[in-house]
Parts: sequence; structure tokens; C-alpha cells
Amino acid sequence: MEYENFPQTEILRDGRSIIVREMTIRDEARMVEFFQGLPLEDRLFLRNDVTKPEVVHRFVRETEDLVLALVVEFDGRIVASATIERGLYGWTRHVGEVRLVVARSMQRCGLATVLLRHLVRAAPGEGIEIVKAFVAGSKGGALRALESLGFNKEATLRRHVKDVTGRKHDLLILTNDVSHIWEKMEALNSDFSPVLGG
Amino acid sequence: MTRTEIRIGGLGGQGVILSGIILGKAASIYDGLNATLIQAFGPEARGSACSAQVTIADDPVDYPYVLNPDILVVMSPDAYTQFAPSLKPGGMLLYEEELVHIKELPEGVRAYGIGATRIAEELGRRLVLNIVMVGFFVGVTGIVSVGAAEKALLSSVPKGTESLNLNAFRRGFEHGRSLVGAA
Repeated sequence: MEYENFPQTEILRDGRSIIVREMTIRDEARMVEFFQGLPLEDRLFLRNDVTKPEVVHRFVRETEDLVLALVVEFDGRIVASATIERGLYGWTRHVGEVRLVVARSMQRCGLATVLLRHLVRAAPGEGIEIVKAFVAGSKGGALRALESLGFNKEATLRRHVKDVTGRKHDLLILTNDVSHIWEKMEALNSDFSPVLGG
Repeated sequence: MTRTEIRIGGLGGQGVILSGIILGKAASIYDGLNATLIQAFGPEARGSACSAQVTIADDPVDYPYVLNPDILVVMSPDAYTQFAPSLKPGGMLLYEEELVHIKELPEGVRAYGIGATRIAEELGRRLVLNIVMVGFFVGVTGIVSVGAAEKALLSSVPKGTESLNLNAFRRGFEHGRSLVGAA
């Protein structure tokens, strides 16, 4: 019996069938195509200029910090990218950050929630105890998706990001403490029965 | 009629009982066999002696207590010292080789060791030491099927921990298979 093995087929709220799988080096050309197809507004919140092929070239290869990198295929095209990454050294090694980009044509149909669920489920198995996400205050859909999966607002950086029109928005930091699931495992392993022990 | 008596021994907090539960569930729920589990605790569970007695049989188990196990699984030196003399001649000992050092064994006993603690630590959680041992048990003995054991495991551990637990099981299983020369 396999568990969380990819690829996986998922049916979205609107009935479309997508394939979620792990990103590979062979995805480079299609990732360039996907990122170049994003409107500027959606790209502004990314860390790097992913319309440059050399940036994507590095992204698909330098995966050391990536705990899990997923892509979504629909109709033979890549329509979303989702990663959870963390530093391998230092005092925040237990913290992973999720990053998610979804093509406009695939938004508002539950795809972000599907991907976030995969990322959050993968995190504890890799030793991550806290999953972190940054989201612009104007992105109500993303915020709701994160909160539905157990993320809580930790901080608000006021007027921290600018959109294409130059308007400033708050940047929210959300976290999801996934370490508690190991407390449940610890309790299971405690070998103590209140009925039979003593 | 085939009947296999198993004792799992270790310290409280090592997940001895959970190991027994997974093996019993695998046999009885997913492999269609019969199984019983008896659990015994020390005065305070954590850090003191703890053992589980599992009996797996084709027919219903009429007597669930294990006096002389066919298979002994030990995860602590004390468990080895206490239970090894009771192993049946020709029985099998599975042990955590970094914690338990084997001395004398009853006649004809086959012993197989695994560095389960190290494997669990490599996977990121020492807590899954018992799951590595369960995988090792299945890999060496084949008494329950690997599919049944994985289903029992996934239905027994908390949500969100399945992936790491499954990895732990498979590491133990593969090591066990390699020791008995299985293809």
C-alpha cells in the first residue's frame, strides 16, 4: 500500500482532473513556459524573476533546500508550482516555508488547498515542526485556504509590498505548528495504560 | 494448525505495546488470521520494563499468554536478560543491536540484529525506533504480509506521521529481508 506517492490524480471543485507530481529537471522548459505565462501582478510576489530561463534553470536543479517541490499538470501543461523549503543549517531548521504559484486559469477551484494539503502533510515527515507562509493582505482566497488548513496569523508587516499600480499592501505571516502530531505519537508510544498499568 | 507466539520487550516509552498492536492488527484484520495481545507494564511505564505478548494463529487462540515465545523481539538490555532464557529452542531473536549485546542463547536460536535507533535518528525521529523494529520483524519472519503490516501501521499512527512511520517500517523491512537473503 502506497502512501503519498506521486503522481496523484485529483478532481477539482469544477470537475477538472489534474495530476500532482514531483518536479524534475525535465520540467525546465515547461516551467519557463508556465512562469512566463503568469501576469505581472502574480509574479510580483515571487522572490525571483522567474521569466528568466536561467532562474528557472537553477530552480529545477538547486533543490537542496526543497523538502518537496510539486508541479500540477493539466492538459499537458504545467499550471501550478508548490514548494516547501527550509534552511539546512541554523536555528530555524525546524521551520519550513511554503510557496505556491497557480495559473490564473486554475484559480478559484480549490487547487491551492489541494497543494497546501500535500505540503503540510509532507512537512512533519521531514522533521519540520512549523510551516510558514507569507501572503499579501489583498489575497483573500490564499488567506482562506491557509486558514482552512490550520495556519494562524502570526504577524502583519504594514504596507510592506507594492502591487503593479504601486499601491502598498500588508504582508501577513502565517504559521502552522505541525509538531503536535508527534506529541500524539509520543503518547501512543508511552506504553502506559491507565487501566492495566501500575 | 500454525501458531506463533511472540514476545516484544523493551522500556516504557519505546512503543512496545504499539508494536504488538500493529502486528496483531496486521494478522487479524488484514491477513485474515487470529491474534491476541497481552500487555504488561512496569510500576511506572516510562523507562521501566514493558512487554507485549502476541499470539498469531490460523485457528482461534484459546490461551493468549506467551510463556516460551517462538520469536522474541527486544529493544533493551533488561528485556534481553529477562526474556531470552524463555525462548523456545530453535526460536528466533530479533534485537536492537546498538542497545542489546547478545551473550548466550538457548540452543538453536537464530538471532538477527538491526541498528533501529540509528535508522530512526537518520529519519529524523528516534520515536519511530519501534516502527523500524516492526518492519524488521516482518522482513525477517514474513509471518504477516507486508501489505497487511503497512495497512495496520497506517491505521494505527496519528495523521501526519504516516509518511515518516512508513519510511521507518520500510527501512526495517528491507534490512530484515537482506539478512535472511530474501529476493
